[in-house]
Amino acid sequence: MTAVTLEDGRSALGPHPVPKGLRGSLASLGWPYLLMLPTMALLITFTLYPLVQGLFMAFFKRGVVVVPQVPSTLPQYIGLENFVGLLSNADFQNSLLKTVLFVVIAVPLNIVVSLALALLLSPQTKLFAVVRTIVFFPSMISLLIIGVAWRWLFGLNNGLVNYLLSLVGIAPVPWLEQDTMAQVAVVIAWVWAQAGFNMMIFIAGLTAISIDYYEAASIDGTSKWRQFTHITLPLLKPTLAVVLVLSSIEAFKVYELVVSLTGGGPGKATVYLIQTIYDTAFQKPMQAGVAAAQSMVLFIILLLLTIFQLRVSRGEK
Amino acid sequence: MTRIYTPWRLIFVTLTLFVFVMPPAWLFLSSLKSQQEIFQWPPTIFPAQPTLQNFIDTVSRAKFLVFFRNSAVVSVLSAFLSVTISVMAGYALAKFRFKGDTLFFLLIMSSLMVPLQIVMIPVFLVLRDLNLLDTLAGIIIAPAATPTGVFLMRQYITNIPDSLLEAARLDGTPEWRILWRIIVPLAIPAIGTLLAFNLVWRWNDYLWPFLIISDQDKWTVQVALANTVGRFGINWPRLLSMSVLSVLPVLVMFTALQRMLMSGLMAGATKE
Repeated sequence: MTAVTLEDGRSALGPHPVPKGLRGSLASLGWPYLLMLPTMALLITFTLYPLVQGLFMAFFKRGVVVVPQVPSTLPQYIGLENFVGLLSNADFQNSLLKTVLFVVIAVPLNIVVSLALALLLSPQTKLFAVVRTIVFFPSMISLLIIGVAWRWLFGLNNGLVNYLLSLVGIAPVPWLEQDTMAQVAVVIAWVWAQAGFNMMIFIAGLTAISIDYYEAASIDGTSKWRQFTHITLPLLKPTLAVVLVLSSIEAFKVYELVVSLTGGGPGKATVYLIQTIYDTAFQKPMQAGVAAAQSMVLFIILLLLTIFQLRVSRGEK
Repeated sequence: MTRIYTPWRLIFVTLTLFVFVMPPAWLFLSSLKSQQEIFQWPPTIFPAQPTLQNFIDTVSRAKFLVFFRNSAVVSVLSAFLSVTISVMAGYALAKFRFKGDTLFFLLIMSSLMVPLQIVMIPVFLVLRDLNLLDTLAGIIIAPAATPTGVFLMRQYITNIPDSLLEAARLDGTPEWRILWRIIVPLAIPAIGTLLAFNLVWRWNDYLWPFLIISDQDKWTVQVALANTVGRFGINWPRLLSMSVLSVLPVLVMFTALQRMLMSGLMAGATKE
């Protein structure tokens, strides 16, 4: 990369030198800002400002809609009361607990399954390319429809899963009718939906590992399993961290799948955080502040996960 | 080299195929069955008398084509808008040094940490204040700026040689022409990938339209689907055929652009 001398005599080093004459005319001075404008305007309007606004809302007692003419709808500052209230809010705690349980089970399972698929399907042959495509396809389908497909498969008296189980003599499983089984069903459908996407990330990570390591190990007579635990896993650590964090974030946001698979039921067995936040805000009066506080708790969880990922990926470099 | 097609591997591959083909295949096969056959026990695997009746019933319902059209309009316009502004921002971040460029980049990347799920209530209020509630424009504009898109375009455009741009500038080519005639044609592979992804994302999106739309005439297919799944008494023939119809465009696109979508994902995932 050559250094470019600017017209004002400074020299711009670095990866993107400022092209000559760029700062010469006033018109082109504003050009990069003009290019940034639409993206920044939309991000500020629909992401960053709402985040700040949401943080404020968490300190007020208010409903979703505030009408200035109606004094009873005006927000009331109540400090940390919304957050303190969460400590005794059974609905929130149940759904937080259930969400954490879901993440703790579904994410490791997802990693094991997608890593296994990656190891199985990584050879670069035509046949495996086709299989990879088929396994990847679910990540292109909307989670709502995946929920519909699995709800249909998990039917108690007419579902294919129970039929297949009956062929090997297993009594019908109440997949969607019983609390624990419904949570298991959500995990199964979720892992099925996510596995192909994560498999592709793992395959990218696997192909980056030099074949030399394995050849050397084979010559030494190292077993396949030892090769996996001593070569593949350690070298795959950065990829594992990425998948772990991406899929944890996804898992904390689980919602659409549940809408069509269980509708949150039976009872409230599969009501996770997002649904609780939404219901709190829009279906109860004057609870928008509480919902905002719940959102902030989720935001902090996601923030910590992201910081963790940045730490790990920076540590690797 | 060890052998690739070992018996164990083939057994597991067969199992994998079964697990991943069965759910969508079962959805599709069931949608071709008559009302009675759908609920028959033991179930038939292949429909005894395949019929398109469920599809005819669904499509002839007055509103379904409206939902389909809404989804199509929203995904196409939103995808184009998203790609356009991502190319612009990606180009600015890749090829210009300006005051605040790092700040812009950090702001864009940090919005990755703020999914819609976390800001639903304030976003709802913003949409209301902008009079975008219950409009298709709302679903088109609101989700258009994506950190992923900007990042992808920035990565790709960075690799376009600066000398091309400098030569054009020396010739006195206006800036907008450089973007349109040099950057865009050279970035077509990345633009295509991003466009394909955006079409799929926007077609599948449920949360944004769910938050924005209440008027039934403006429902997208996903909203209609969610409303067909009540907790009790699901109309399965309708739900199955609706699901198949709504996956169809994605399936067609995925089949056509499969290589682009999968390699685009790899590029995005590994370049971080």
